[in-house]
Amino acid sequence: MKQLLSLFIIYLFLASSSSFAASDNGHPLADIKLDRSQAALQRGANAVINSCMLCHQLKYIKYRNLLDIGFDQATVDAMRKDNPMSSLLPTGLDKKLVEDMFGIVPPDLALMAKARKGGPAYIYTLLTSYHEQADGRIENLLFPGIAMPDPTAHSVTEDAAAKKEIEAKILDIASFLEWTADPHAQERKTMGIYVIIYLVILTIMLYIVKKRVWARLD
Amino acid sequence: MANKIMAWIDERFPLTNIVKHEITDYPTPRNLSYWWNFGFLAGFVLVIQLISGIFLAMHYKADTSLAFDSVEHIMREVNYGWLIRYMHSTGASAFFAVIFIHMARTLYYGSYRAPRELMWWTGQILLIMLMATAFFGYLLPWGQMSYWGAQVITSLFGTVPFLGDEIVVWLRGDFAVGDATLTRFFALHYLFPFLIFGMVAIHLVALHMVKSSNPSGIDLQAKDNIPLHPYFTAKDFYGLGVFLIVFSLILFFRPNLFIEPDNYIPANPMQTPAHIVPEWYFLPFYAILRAIPDLVGGVIAMALSILLFAVMPYLDRSKIPGGARYRPFYRIMFIVFAIDVVILGYVGAKPPTGFLITLGQICTFFYFALFMLLPFVSKREEKWLRAKGLPAEVEALIASDERQREIQRKEALRK
Repeated sequence: MKQLLSLFIIYLFLASSSSFAASDNGHPLADIKLDRSQAALQRGANAVINSCMLCHQLKYIKYRNLLDIGFDQATVDAMRKDNPMSSLLPTGLDKKLVEDMFGIVPPDLALMAKARKGGPAYIYTLLTSYHEQADGRIENLLFPGIAMPDPTAHSVTEDAAAKKEIEAKILDIASFLEWTADPHAQERKTMGIYVIIYLVILTIMLYIVKKRVWARLD
Repeated sequence: MANKIMAWIDERFPLTNIVKHEITDYPTPRNLSYWWNFGFLAGFVLVIQLISGIFLAMHYKADTSLAFDSVEHIMREVNYGWLIRYMHSTGASAFFAVIFIHMARTLYYGSYRAPRELMWWTGQILLIMLMATAFFGYLLPWGQMSYWGAQVITSLFGTVPFLGDEIVVWLRGDFAVGDATLTRFFALHYLFPFLIFGMVAIHLVALHMVKSSNPSGIDLQAKDNIPLHPYFTAKDFYGLGVFLIVFSLILFFRPNLFIEPDNYIPANPMQTPAHIVPEWYFLPFYAILRAIPDLVGGVIAMALSILLFAVMPYLDRSKIPGGARYRPFYRIMFIVFAIDVVILGYVGAKPPTGFLITLGQICTFFYFALFMLLPFVSKREEKWLRAKGLPAEVEALIASDERQREIQRKEALRK
């Protein structure tokens, strides 16, 4: 039976491993370390709002949600102008126009970090995988044939320092989109630590109870 | 005061008797290992699923234009909605994990043997009901995998001769999975847990008739049975604590471990995902479905792969007690079967290409071959073991079993 349990664990590992490995087309995902600080999330939010949202949408994120990543009320008020706190962040998306230009409607970004294997690593890799081909075309190695042109000009930036800066910005975007996909993740992990501590103490006590009850037998 | 109230109730309802008979005096074999905890755990997970599910239903909208967003509404806006929803999605996986271990224990220790066939069969019905519930529930988030999974599985009913197409339309309520399908799946997903609850009651009535099996494989003497409470309640609660730690680790730190990324993309009938995979607990059966080149054959094989367990009490013809421990060949078959199922699960998760197709077919062959071989192997194994001379402890178990039967026969005569 012990072997069976280890088999079962191996099975779970195999079944879940696919979500950590390479992307579907075999292109390896970058090994990134996300900065989840509020400063990084705010930088990412600004980048997404000012660039990505010219074409993309952020379906579930409202102005009031921005308070959760440390924007103060005045900043949010300046952003929203006359819009209510509960309205969605505006997008420049004109579906018809963009569809005419690129052939597809750009996907919503709110859940992107959950809807792709690798999540934030996928987003980071995608945005840093544009490369100039021999014929001068710019192709994305993670997503060949992608309709979106290199949005950060990462592929054509020669200057090493400027490239580093763009990569830092992309990392912030990945952090922010991880947050938009699961805004309660931080709260969840914090609560999880307390829950586990509680359960470990409880289980130790239950074990002692079991021992003492069973000690009556002999 | 309390005594008075109890007396008042007992005149009208046999509460004290029930508690005595089913809990404080209920005889339980004292040698049960921790593998016997999983029935209780399954019951506990059922309660988690029922409660979290009812709260989710308060905020969920079963409408193709609202379903996906209502799940995100739960995840974002509802107070602790994320907790309830992750509890429910992790609970589904936990339910299957617990049930599979519960079944594996039954198979390893031969607990399906007489007189516990009805326990095994009600358990089988529970497994099928659980699978149906999970399948209905998986459509509700209305993601890509929800939609395409339902599309694929309902289309399997199209293989029924003559009536196939009509049955598929009848199940979906439409020519393709759509709004009608979603609303009925929601209704059934809400109904089934209560049917399961009723079936669990039958499972438990049968249990309290025949009592728990135990690692020795024989019915113990009266002196070796101890009351359920406090001994096994204490043991079950300790096991529950361990289970909850594992459960919470996944729930709080890896809640998306068992959720396909594609299911965070809203269902799109115009775009098929690169490859459609069911949840991990269906993967071995899905691999068997795909292993047979002919679709009708695949559907039959998949159905058989679940239903065949029901004939285990007749396939296993050995009377050697003590589970697989004293049965070398049966133990090998059990381990091969377990490995086989794991490989099938792996094959089911991957796109069917090249070697994986062959591997899936080989494993499917082994899956059924083991069932088919069991009557012969178990009979010969018993003969061989008896000819070779049984170990002293097995002889003792058989002798004790015969004594027990003798006592029971006499008691029955006296009555």
